[in-house]
Amino acid sequence: MNNCDDIRSRIAFYLDDELRGSDLTRFEAHLDECNSCRRAVSGERRFIESVRASRPLYPAPPALRAETERILNGAPPPYAAPPELRARIARSLWNDAPFSLKGRRALALAAAAAIIVVLAGLWYSARRPVGDPLKRPSEFAMMAVNTHLRHLRGQLPFEITSDSPDDISRWFAGKVSFSLVLPNYQQSSGQEQLYQIEGARLVAFKNDYAAYIAYQMRGRPITLVVTSDRAATPSGGEAIVSRGLTFHYHTIDGLKVIAWSDRGLTYALVSDLEERGQQSCVVCHAGTKDRDFIEDLKPRSDTQ
Amino acid sequence: MSEAEKISADFRKAAIEHLDALYGFAMTLTRNETEAQDLVQETYLRAVRAFGQLLPDSNLKGWLFAICRNVWLNQLRHARSGPRFVELDAEEEGCAGWFDSVASNPYTVFVRKLEREEVRAAIESLPRLYREVVVLRDLEGFSYQQIAAILGCPAGTVMSRLNRARERLRSLLDQWQAGAVEQSRQAREA
Repeated sequence: MNNCDDIRSRIAFYLDDELRGSDLTRFEAHLDECNSCRRAVSGERRFIESVRASRPLYPAPPALRAETERILNGAPPPYAAPPELRARIARSLWNDAPFSLKGRRALALAAAAAIIVVLAGLWYSARRPVGDPLKRPSEFAMMAVNTHLRHLRGQLPFEITSDSPDDISRWFAGKVSFSLVLPNYQQSSGQEQLYQIEGARLVAFKNDYAAYIAYQMRGRPITLVVTSDRAATPSGGEAIVSRGLTFHYHTIDGLKVIAWSDRGLTYALVSDLEERGQQSCVVCHAGTKDRDFIEDLKPRSDTQ
Repeated sequence: MSEAEKISADFRKAAIEHLDALYGFAMTLTRNETEAQDLVQETYLRAVRAFGQLLPDSNLKGWLFAICRNVWLNQLRHARSGPRFVELDAEEEGCAGWFDSVASNPYTVFVRKLEREEVRAAIESLPRLYREVVVLRDLEGFSYQQIAAILGCPAGTVMSRLNRARERLRSLLDQWQAGAVEQSRQAREA
């Protein structure tokens, strides 16, 4: 490429920054020697710059800018299901499904399901003695264990991934029907980091959402599930009163569950920690003044 | 702020920076303010919904422009199958009339002093296929490869189309300059 015709056919590529390597080197070498081609490049550059100077072609009208900002600010985090879809799925899961089948087929299915439930109940009661119903874990505690296990199986991806209690609390605001503020003892006290928050998400419970927060303490997972005390009342298990609160301890599928209600909210903590799993309480009670509180929850020799 | 929320906030901030450019491109496609505004709104709505599909380090601006053009093409296809008449400008559509209107319009005589206005008017008068390639390259600075991705055509087509578009544009602006010189001469003689 060394004659002027070749060079001029490539002026646009040169000015558009599309010439590379040896093509670019030869082009620039030719320009160094050829006044005529240099003038042609200058003329073409002036033309392209005059076109570029007309930018912006049309500034967006203020109303369009406002509307676009509204669209963008209303954008949910990526992959978060929109609230209406959540509500629809929740309705389907908790309400609609059993009633959506109609006619004889529905009746037949319902009858078959009832027979299976009765047979399963008979089989279960034949295999296992019925315990004290007052000792049975609450539905909420069972849901918390199920949530913990589903997370461990990778079936519950987080909707927010953060190690900040403040971020998690903000994320839940407006998504659950109760106010949830996670304490931030570790940051405020500057003490040794005993645990990390991994993330959180909503989980369905009784036609509503409960808050699920996942923690890790020295590599061991801890699940905290929170709902309003109208939706769940802790019950059963071993009840221990401490500082005016009643804690219900269960062992379900080998996991330690602590459930309690306090100031309008009901909590369930699930872990595979030792004893009653009371060390899982540090996720909210990591302050020095709470050491005695956690110590209170340890089983004493006479209760072991 | 979580990683996901930070990405989301970064996306919002970056996306709004391209609003003027996107609106200009929408005007280039539709040549109608209302349609351009609708097109831009639809583009951002789709971008918000599909934001999760955008790979890290992707060119957000190019992605928004590609969505904009795809939405517009879909609307065009829909309009073609419906009863509404839509003006479709072909690549070989002429731009006769632009020069006459520029030369004879007193307002245009006034704005002649502003070269930007002249260039803008000349771009507007180009056929749509030329218009969009000039806007994407010369105003928005996309590379040939990026333009090819936005338009869904080979880079070679972008080069040849851009070349023809610039020739047409240069010719229009040369006509304007010649007209301005002639008007100035007549004014001196009068």
